[in-house]
Amino acid sequence: MHFLAASIESLGAKVTGWFAVAYGMAAFLGRAGRLLLDRATWNRATFDVVVKQVYFTAVQILHVYLGYVLVISWLMVSIILSTARDFGLTEFASEMTIRVLVLELLPFLTALFIALRSGSAINTEVALMQVNNELDALAHCKVPPMQFEFLPRLIGGVISVVTLSGLAGLLALLMGYLAIYGLTPAGFAPYTQTIAKIFDFQIVAGLIAKCALFGLAVTLIPVTAGLETPKKLFMVPVSVLRGMMRVFLAIVAIEVVSLALKYI
Amino acid sequence: MLLAAVAALDDDVARVSHELPLRANLSALDNIALIPLYQRHLGAAESARQAMDLLQRLGHAGIAPLRDPDMTPAQRFVTKLARALILKRPRLVIDRPGAMLYDVPYPVFIRRLASHADLAGTWEIYDFSWNQALYTQVHDTE
Repeated sequence: MHFLAASIESLGAKVTGWFAVAYGMAAFLGRAGRLLLDRATWNRATFDVVVKQVYFTAVQILHVYLGYVLVISWLMVSIILSTARDFGLTEFASEMTIRVLVLELLPFLTALFIALRSGSAINTEVALMQVNNELDALAHCKVPPMQFEFLPRLIGGVISVVTLSGLAGLLALLMGYLAIYGLTPAGFAPYTQTIAKIFDFQIVAGLIAKCALFGLAVTLIPVTAGLETPKKLFMVPVSVLRGMMRVFLAIVAIEVVSLALKYI
Repeated sequence: MLLAAVAALDDDVARVSHELPLRANLSALDNIALIPLYQRHLGAAESARQAMDLLQRLGHAGIAPLRDPDMTPAQRFVTKLARALILKRPRLVIDRPGAMLYDVPYPVFIRRLASHADLAGTWEIYDFSWNQALYTQVHDTE
């Protein structure tokens, strides 16, 4: 009986904790949204920090990222193509390539890539800022941490995931064409027709919304996880661990919901 | 005054305290330039110019490119002091300087900085009573 009560209490505490975390994130997002719409936020200083964030999140890693996309795309296209040939479904190969790579796999891998590289760094930095009282120091100097530290990271994350996924998609389309038709212009008409058939307004809007949500997840969750850190240095790794687990679960949840909305 | 009360000082006070650290990933110059950039909405170049001017007046222009981990305690203190001075608040409170300036005889060091700074406003130092003798020595040598 005691064991049952303890289990229910523990479950209740966990559920309450999840709700508290979700509420904290929603409240933070609400504040960020209000500031985003405030004209006073958009001064030269905030804009400069946003540009810096986009540079650190997307531009600095572009060559590594494109190389990684090239390898993944080539492998996936080859697997899809050989499987389609084996089953006599070659005419569907281009459509399958685009759907699997451009709409699903590459945005998902991009989000994971940014989460591992920038999300973990953001989580650690915000946690250290919290532990070291740097946020209190900024508040004392009346430098708003939301405009100076957090909002640029959220905007940078969204812009980076959307643009990197777009670039990856274009590269994958090119790889798909080369793998299916080779270096001839013969397949240009059917290939572009397939692209036009797949990318209607709804799909494009859904893809952009999904990438934007991925971008938000890989920045918003690490920032809020960092801010939750108790002021003890040994809690920083725990904060990063929690934050990154939440990011992973959020990315998977966004992908699952997007697939369900599209195909069920 | 009790030390806890220092933390509760109002907005008219600029504090220099070991509890108010610098942004670790910014240089000394950027830490100071943040204030005019965000409070007075000046451009990046003008903010940097004002910050550099202040460091020069304090006689520490050379620390401008250094980040917090690369600074000595005295250099870190000067950066914090410049950040507090650029706030242009009527009172400046130096809270327990011994906690920040453990590498120099700090009453002399602060007095020298104050003579360089040539700025308006009141400087107040809050320190433990057992350090009173250090300040008396400075007066005696003068």
